[in-house]
Amino acid sequence: MLEARHLKKYYTVKEKTGWFSREKQLIRAVDEIDLSIDKGEIVGLLGVNGAGKTTTIKMLSTLLTPTSGTITVDGTNVVEQPNRIKQQVNMIAGGERMLYWRLTARENLMYFGKLYGLHGQTLTERCRQLIRLVGLDEAADHPVERYSKGMKQRLQIARGLINDPDYLFLDEPTLGLDAPVARQLRKTVKDLAKVRNKGILLTSHYLEEVQELCDRVYIIEKGHLLLHGTPERIIQTVVNIFHLQAVVSGQSSDSIWLKQELEKRNVQVSVKDSDEGKLLHMTASFDMTASFIALVAKQGLILKKLEATKPNLEDAIIKLAEESHAS
Amino acid sequence: MWASFSATFNRQFMTMRRAYPWSFFIGHILDGVYIIIFAYLSYHFIFQGQLNKNFTSYTGTSNYLSYAMIGGMLNSFSVSLLMIVSRMLITEMREGTLEALLLTPSSRQGYFLGAAVQGLMRSCIEMIAIFSIGLFFGLKMVSVNALILIPVLSVFCFAIFSQALVLGSFMLVFRDTYITQNTLFVIMTLVSGVSFPPQFLPGWLHTLSCIMPLSYGLNLFRGVVIEEHWSGSMTQDLFLLFGLGVLYFIAGSIFIKRTEKTVVEKYFG
Repeated sequence: MLEARHLKKYYTVKEKTGWFSREKQLIRAVDEIDLSIDKGEIVGLLGVNGAGKTTTIKMLSTLLTPTSGTITVDGTNVVEQPNRIKQQVNMIAGGERMLYWRLTARENLMYFGKLYGLHGQTLTERCRQLIRLVGLDEAADHPVERYSKGMKQRLQIARGLINDPDYLFLDEPTLGLDAPVARQLRKTVKDLAKVRNKGILLTSHYLEEVQELCDRVYIIEKGHLLLHGTPERIIQTVVNIFHLQAVVSGQSSDSIWLKQELEKRNVQVSVKDSDEGKLLHMTASFDMTASFIALVAKQGLILKKLEATKPNLEDAIIKLAEESHAS
Repeated sequence: MWASFSATFNRQFMTMRRAYPWSFFIGHILDGVYIIIFAYLSYHFIFQGQLNKNFTSYTGTSNYLSYAMIGGMLNSFSVSLLMIVSRMLITEMREGTLEALLLTPSSRQGYFLGAAVQGLMRSCIEMIAIFSIGLFFGLKMVSVNALILIPVLSVFCFAIFSQALVLGSFMLVFRDTYITQNTLFVIMTLVSGVSFPPQFLPGWLHTLSCIMPLSYGLNLFRGVVIEEHWSGSMTQDLFLLFGLGVLYFIAGSIFIKRTEKTVVEKYFG
C-alpha cells in the first residue's frame, strides 16, 4: 500500500514590491494531506487548478521532497530510499512531453528501460510486450516526431510501465485526446488496475472519466483535503439536489392539484404549458420520482414524458468550490 | 553508472546520426578557422613576421603560427565539449523529458559521461577538420609522442568535462544557454592563451587563466607537439590541471544535484 500522512509542501517565493525590494511569501501548495492507494485500486485526486494535485503527485513519485509528513510505499520511506521507490512507481503526464521525439518508440523504451537497470533479453521482451499492449506494433520503429497525439500518449503509457511499477500516477492522461482514443486509454487504465493489479492515482479535469474509473476520490482545495470517499458517496454528501422534468396530459386543475401535493412533500414545482400538455419542473433534496408517479396514477393522468437528472461528480466539485470561495 | 552511461551514449549517438546539428559543427570549425586565418594574416601582413621578444621567453617557442593554430584548435575542442555536456539537462528541460529522466534511479555521472564520450566523437571530428586547415597555413608539429599525448589529452578532457558540469548548473539556474555559455567562452578565449600568452594581459586578468583548464591544456599540448621536450613546469601543469578537474568535478556534481532540485521545485512544483 502507498500511504501519505500529514503531507506538506511549502514554498517560499519572492514577490517584487518595488525597483529593488522583494517580499518573501510562503505558499502552502499542500497542507496536511493524508491519502492511501491500494494495489488494484484506481484513486482519483481532484481539485481546481492550483489545488495541489500535481505537487502531491510529484512528491509521491520522488520528484519533490515534502516539507514535512511521511510517504511510504509498501513500508519503505520515499525520502529515505528514493532509488528503491523509483523502481516501484512511475508517472505519466498528459500532453506530448516525457518522450524523445527523434527516437523511435522502441528506442525510447530501450533507453528508459536501461535507465531502470534492465538489459538483454528481459529488456527487449519487455519493450516488445509494452509496444503490443499500447497497440504501436506497426509504428514501433518510426520516430516519435511522426506520431499523432494519441500515439504519443499511448507510448507514454508504455514508458510509464517500463519498470513494471506497482503504483502508477496519471496526471491528466487524456488531456486533449479525441473521444475514441481517450476511451481506449480509459480501458487500458482500468485493465492495469483490475487485471495487472497496479495501484493507480489519477488526476483529470474530465470528471465523467474520474466517476467512471475511480474506486475512491480525494478532493483537495488550496492544498487542503476537503473530502474523501467513493464518487457516489461524495455526490450524495455534497449535492443533495435532484431534478425531475415531466409532461402530463389533463386539465389545468389537475396540474394545480399535482403542484400542491408535491409542494406538501417539500418539492419545488413550476408548471408551464407545452404542445403535449403541462410541463412540470420539479426540484427536491431527495429522489421524488416514485412519489410523483404515484400521484400521477392516483389522479389518473397520462404521463407523456419523464426525465430525471441525477447529480454527478462535476456538480459536487462545483458546489465544493463555490462553498470554499464563499468561506 | 555503466547502464546509465551506455544508455545515454547510445541515445546521443542515435540522435546525432538522425539529426546531426550541422550548424554547431560548422560554427565550431569556423571559430577555429577564424583564429588560424587571423593569426596568419596578422603575423605575415601586419607584423611582417616580427615577434615581441617576450613572446619566446613566455612561450618557449618562436613558432607563433603553430602556437596560435594549436590555440584555435584546442579552444574549439573545449567549446564543443563544454557545450555538449553542459546543455544536456537544460535541453531535457526544454524538450520536456527532464521529469522522465529524474523519475529513473539512474546515475547522473553516468548520464553526463555517456554524453561526453559520445560528444568527444563529434569534437574530435571538428578538431581534425581545423587541424587539416591549419596545415595549409603553416601549422608545424615537431613531434607527437602518443605515450605523453594520450595522458595529457585524457586529463584535459576530464577537466573540461568537470568544468561543463559547473557550467550546466549555471545554465539550469539562469534557464539560459546562450548568454551563460558565451560569457564563459569569451573570458576563456581571452585569458587562456589561445592566440597570445596570458602574461601579456594585466595581472588581474592573467590570474583568471589559473582557473581555466584550457590554459593548462594549451601549455601541455603545445609543450608536447611543438616544443619537443617535457619540462618540470609541464609536470606541474599536468597536476594542476588534474587538481582543477577534481575541484570542478566535486563542485559540479554538488551544484547539479542542487539545481536539479531547485528546477523541479520552481518550475514543475
